[in-house]
Amino acid sequence: MKKIALLCSLLVAFGYADKKAMLGSFDGFVERMGASAHELGRGNTGSADTSAQPGAYWNPALLSFRTQLTYNLHAEQRSLDRTGGSIGVEGRVGKRMGVGFAMLYRGDHAFDVVNDDDETLGEASPYFSIMYLGFAYRLSRRDGLGISFSMSYDNLDISEYYDDISLVNGYQSPVSFNLGWVRQWNEKWSTSVVIRNLSFSKNLSAVWTRNPSTDNSVISTEGVRPKVLQIGVGYRNTLFGKPISAWMEALDYQIADTLLAFDPDRHVWTGRVGFEYEVIPNGSVSLGMNDLNFSFGLGYQFNIRIGKKRWPFDVSYALLYESEANLWNPLSFGVRGWIP
Amino acid sequence: MLKKISVLFFCAISVFAAESLVSNFTFAVAPGPSTGTLWVLSRGDAGSGVTLVTLALGESQVNVISMKSDFFDQEKTAVHDGVFSDVTGETRRTPFLYTEKLGFVVPMLGLDSVESFRQPEGFYSVKTSRILETPLDEPIVELDSAYSSPMAKSIGAFAYDTSTSVLWFSRGILGIESYDVSGSISDPKISNFVLDAKDGSLDTLNRNKKINASENPPIFGLSLHPETSMLWLATEKGLYHQTANRSFEKVEALKDSRVTGVWIGGTPIQIIAETSAREESVTKSKLWRSWNGSDFKEVVFRDTLGKIQKDVYDKADYSVSNVAFIRNKAFLAVQTIEGSISGLVKLDSIGAIPWNHTRQWLYDVEAGVLNKNTILTSVAAIPLTDDIMGLAVSSYGSGISVSADSGQTWSHILNQTAVKDNLGTIRMIPSVTVAHGESMVAYKLGQRSKVTIEVFSYDMRRVRTIVKDVVREENAVRSSKATEDFWDGLDDHGRPCAMGVYYVRVKDNHGHVGWGKVMTLGGNRK
Repeated sequence: MKKIALLCSLLVAFGYADKKAMLGSFDGFVERMGASAHELGRGNTGSADTSAQPGAYWNPALLSFRTQLTYNLHAEQRSLDRTGGSIGVEGRVGKRMGVGFAMLYRGDHAFDVVNDDDETLGEASPYFSIMYLGFAYRLSRRDGLGISFSMSYDNLDISEYYDDISLVNGYQSPVSFNLGWVRQWNEKWSTSVVIRNLSFSKNLSAVWTRNPSTDNSVISTEGVRPKVLQIGVGYRNTLFGKPISAWMEALDYQIADTLLAFDPDRHVWTGRVGFEYEVIPNGSVSLGMNDLNFSFGLGYQFNIRIGKKRWPFDVSYALLYESEANLWNPLSFGVRGWIP
Repeated sequence: MLKKISVLFFCAISVFAAESLVSNFTFAVAPGPSTGTLWVLSRGDAGSGVTLVTLALGESQVNVISMKSDFFDQEKTAVHDGVFSDVTGETRRTPFLYTEKLGFVVPMLGLDSVESFRQPEGFYSVKTSRILETPLDEPIVELDSAYSSPMAKSIGAFAYDTSTSVLWFSRGILGIESYDVSGSISDPKISNFVLDAKDGSLDTLNRNKKINASENPPIFGLSLHPETSMLWLATEKGLYHQTANRSFEKVEALKDSRVTGVWIGGTPIQIIAETSAREESVTKSKLWRSWNGSDFKEVVFRDTLGKIQKDVYDKADYSVSNVAFIRNKAFLAVQTIEGSISGLVKLDSIGAIPWNHTRQWLYDVEAGVLNKNTILTSVAAIPLTDDIMGLAVSSYGSGISVSADSGQTWSHILNQTAVKDNLGTIRMIPSVTVAHGESMVAYKLGQRSKVTIEVFSYDMRRVRTIVKDVVREENAVRSSKATEDFWDGLDDHGRPCAMGVYYVRVKDNHGHVGWGKVMTLGGNRK
């Protein structure tokens, strides 16, 4: 436990460190905000948990540990009209391979479009999504490697309000890819490494140019989605005879269009930590911290039997406090299940 | 004779509607029909039109008593599409005038062959109860191909002779036109003239006349001398003034200059002329002045230390939008091409009056002339009371500003949607911004407060602190300080934020918190 405490304090220190690079102003918030209420309840930790879903998002290597077809759904309503959710399906292919699909969604369902003349033109519903298609290979009983390809689609939903400019609503990003490794060292420990947002371009950077108007009347915009190195550790044990687990992740966001940047000002380090405890049979509570956002989660696994087959599924709930903005978000629900 | 009596259309004989400006994008202000009233010309997203504003002088500011607006036909406007992008002075302004008989007079432009508002069609005259469209026929003449574009025949300036009830306006290569309403405004007498540069006569423009620009130089601007009622003409071949025998003489100092505008007024009389020409893809502009009957000299720009600075006007690529005279001072509304810099230049007997500012001769947002960093489009002197001559400016996006003390303090008049008290509504104006754009944070406080404004990304990471613990006053409409309370799409380190939705939090020191939303289309970054 001392090791865990040390790691926690290091992660918190990373989170509080004052860095010149600012993550919030960079592309990639859909990815940063995670998927699934179950993982959100424990601080968005999932990359080292072989049961985390959707695996194509958390760590494509997790897909190699699938033994049956699984599905997951997540929907949330955050304060300030922010909606979000995810969907995933994944399963085993052959003896050693896994494949999965995931889509993450974020949006705002009440964005007032106000013009320069202080007139409200209408209400837009911009949304932002990322799709993942992941493949994994089980190297051994304990190791898996995976790759997922991702592509974003954003829709700002504002073009109808501007007659004099041919504004573009939708933007599709080029394909980028993510690499993952996970190792289940023993019954207690697991570790993972995920590298996100690599691209088939110079410096392997996910860089793109977007032209907001078809008539070139609006200045084009260039963006780079930070490369991410995500290292995860998981620890499982029992407490008072009940399963307990602790999860930690350290994330390094490299905010530069270079292969590797060694300038610390070009990096943002954040951490995630989460705990989950099965307080009653099939029922768990969780706590977590993702950067400076605190979360609390509840989960319960149901087992429905139809004929001779069991159809287990989890229902999860998460409460999130976004501390930098002082916002409470009590509406996050998820379901994940296993199809026999 | 080419003259034809134009048909007058009484369009929009309607009760003036809407207690607001047609738009905050205003291009001209002019004295209204009575003391304390003014006309505002706007062209915004919803169309073009005019507003009659009635003002009252308060203890510390100018208050609006009423506003009555009406729109022009959707297919027409008074502000042409090249007003910011044209490169020489003569078409980088919107001419206007208030006349006793015709009311507020502005050009009328329609759509040209490429659907751009650059087709001169006549002029609008607006009185309290109606907008009058006055189409003007284009004289059938033979023109050099260099002057065949519609804007080469656009109205460049108006002048009204109250003693004869004749409205004069310049029409570029077509010379000048007189619109005589001494009989009736529904039965005007219209005459077209070109200047004969050789003998200085004003010749009637006959049908099929071949206009040779070297003999009949295009007339870009005109003005009437307030004491003599003599015409002054700004032409492509110099500045001319009418003499006692009605012929025209060239001003020696500007005899070879391309004069794009002339303005006369003040006590003593000042005559200000602008020269503007393209030389090797660069615009060369200068300001000239005759003070109290003296010879024309280039306007002197002294810095705050009293040292003369050369080429201030030309270095900035300025052009004059209009000039307002109040007693012995002239206030020139100037702007650079595309409006990147604009403001007021103040002239007194010596020259331009500097002040302690990075742009020493330019009175702009930092002097409180405008309420945000936008383009100042015009200026006019407005009688606010029988004793007080006010100054009013129009702006591109920030309505109008009025000063009762010759520019010392300003009151800003613009359309503002109501926001709830105590940070109950945070309104971002506009809520969609582009690279290099700005979005104002509009809010209202119930009491004097210390305010902090921050911008958060969608995932609620703070990306920008706009202001922190700054004092803002209670206000019946808005408490925002437009010169500080805005987001420019940048993070705390000056880098453009990625395209997306951002959330703006306004907090005061009384526990009130409000949120607004803004979308940036991003900027260039790597």
